Amino acid sequence: MTVGFYQHRESSVHRLNPLTKLTLAVAVVIAAFAVPLTWWPAALFLVVLVPAVLAARVPARFAALTVKFVGPLLVAVFLVQGLFFPGEGAELARLGPISVKAEGLAFAAQTATRLLVLIGAFLFLLLTTHPGVLMNAMVQRGLPPNISYVVSATLQIVPAFRERAQHILRAQQARGMATGGGLRRRIGVLLPLIGPLALGALTEVEERAVAMEARAFGATGRRTSLMPVPDTTAQRLARWGLAAFAAATIVANALGVFA
Amino acid sequence: MTASSRGGPRHHGTRWAYLVAGALVVVATYAYLVIARPASLHHGGAGSAALLALAGYLVGSVLIIAGAMSRLPTSTVALLPVAIAVNLVVGQIVNVTGIPLYLDSIGTVLVGVLAGPAAGAATGALADVIWGITVNPSAMPFAVTAAVIGLLAGVAARFGAFRRLWTALPAGLVTGVVAAIVSAPIGAFVYGNANASAGRSGLAAAFQAYGNGLLKSATLQGLVSDPLDKTLSFLIVFLLLAALPPRFRQRFPFARRFAVFGHRTGLVDRDAEATTGACELAEKG
Repeated sequence: MTVGFYQHRESSVHRLNPLTKLTLAVAVVIAAFAVPLTWWPAALFLVVLVPAVLAARVPARFAALTVKFVGPLLVAVFLVQGLFFPGEGAELARLGPISVKAEGLAFAAQTATRLLVLIGAFLFLLLTTHPGVLMNAMVQRGLPPNISYVVSATLQIVPAFRERAQHILRAQQARGMATGGGLRRRIGVLLPLIGPLALGALTEVEERAVAMEARAFGATGRRTSLMPVPDTTAQRLARWGLAAFAAATIVANALGVFA
Repeated sequence: MTASSRGGPRHHGTRWAYLVAGALVVVATYAYLVIARPASLHHGGAGSAALLALAGYLVGSVLIIAGAMSRLPTSTVALLPVAIAVNLVVGQIVNVTGIPLYLDSIGTVLVGVLAGPAAGAATGALADVIWGITVNPSAMPFAVTAAVIGLLAGVAARFGAFRRLWTALPAGLVTGVVAAIVSAPIGAFVYGNANASAGRSGLAAAFQAYGNGLLKSATLQGLVSDPLDKTLSFLIVFLLLAALPPRFRQRFPFARRFAVFGHRTGLVDRDAEATTGACELAEKG
């Protein structure tokens, strides 16, 4: 059982070094937020992210998740900023407290497309990269191993935790606890769930800590990797290129090129 | 016993240097966005604000994680995945049941109280990153807020707020207020006050309709939900800790050193020094 979004495919994108994909995602997000042209984030999405996702052969899952995560935000941002934009500006229409402004619509469009890039870029990374491999690659580049341990261990225990939560909920229901009802009732249901869940897990922590200490978890010094992540010169150059591209957009913004 | 006793004062120094630097970056970002207000919101103004909020908070949370995770004792590192899993599972159940609260920082507060502000901050930030990896990537920009919650829970415990319920609850309230303020720039400039929850979007829209600016509306919207949410989280953690065996609570050096749970560790003698001395004896024996 796995958690997360990773989709296993045989594609050249999947075989890329995780750091290359991470750099691509971060660079695209920075570029989307650094350039205040309304069409720019949408162009980045169509020209960079969509081809990347097609090459990775995960377009259906990407589309479904993008709609699921960006869809509600998109509707909300157009309703909030399209109808109640706080800044000044020419009013296009007015009805009671509702006032449609050109600035508001522009801001909504810009925010919506930026969110599309922000969430799309990370979905691309997470769909094509197993979190464990990503952590492995980052540790080889100097990420402290205990951070990698926390992330990897959490991803492993979450499914067991979900199962335990289900067991507790069913056990409490079998004892006659009603799970439906009003707000106060539903909050009241949480305590008999959180209690056993957290207390049961916390009692295991000590054994785990002892086992980790016995395996030199706290050891200092450089560690070798069991599974080195392959990297190529071309990818290294590509990462530098992406970083330069992102930096260039920030510099251009700071210099007021788009003002 | 663990890395904490081995780590020299020099390492301790760099750790706090990173943490303070991270906090300063976050505060500076916020101050710049509030005071200097990069132009107005027209044409590109909000664009720079969004980039600044995103970048400043990202750098801040990376520094906070780096500082907090260096030289953390193994007993605390082993606690983190469990705490984060509690955050995740409870947060998701709350989400599904339609309760208009988050309650996704119970594990964060727990670690802050047991293991201190640095560990709490690391738990919060990493929990947010993992929430982004597994549940919803749009959570990731809010990592700093989660770190602040863990940090404040640890500070509250450090000054004895978790000894009694009537000091723990106000500490939760204050944490919620700070969380609302810290998360407002991301909500306003990056998300345009849009929220996947219709209730929260509607609330922000209402505040904007009354003539408040973007950032102010985001702050007010946060102030409606966050303080209650964090007070409730602190209450749940207080009850959880009361149910834990004293032996477990006293296992953490931070909880022992600052007498997070008071000096009533099953000993009749209430004198502070005598009690901590006895605890250390018990630890060695």
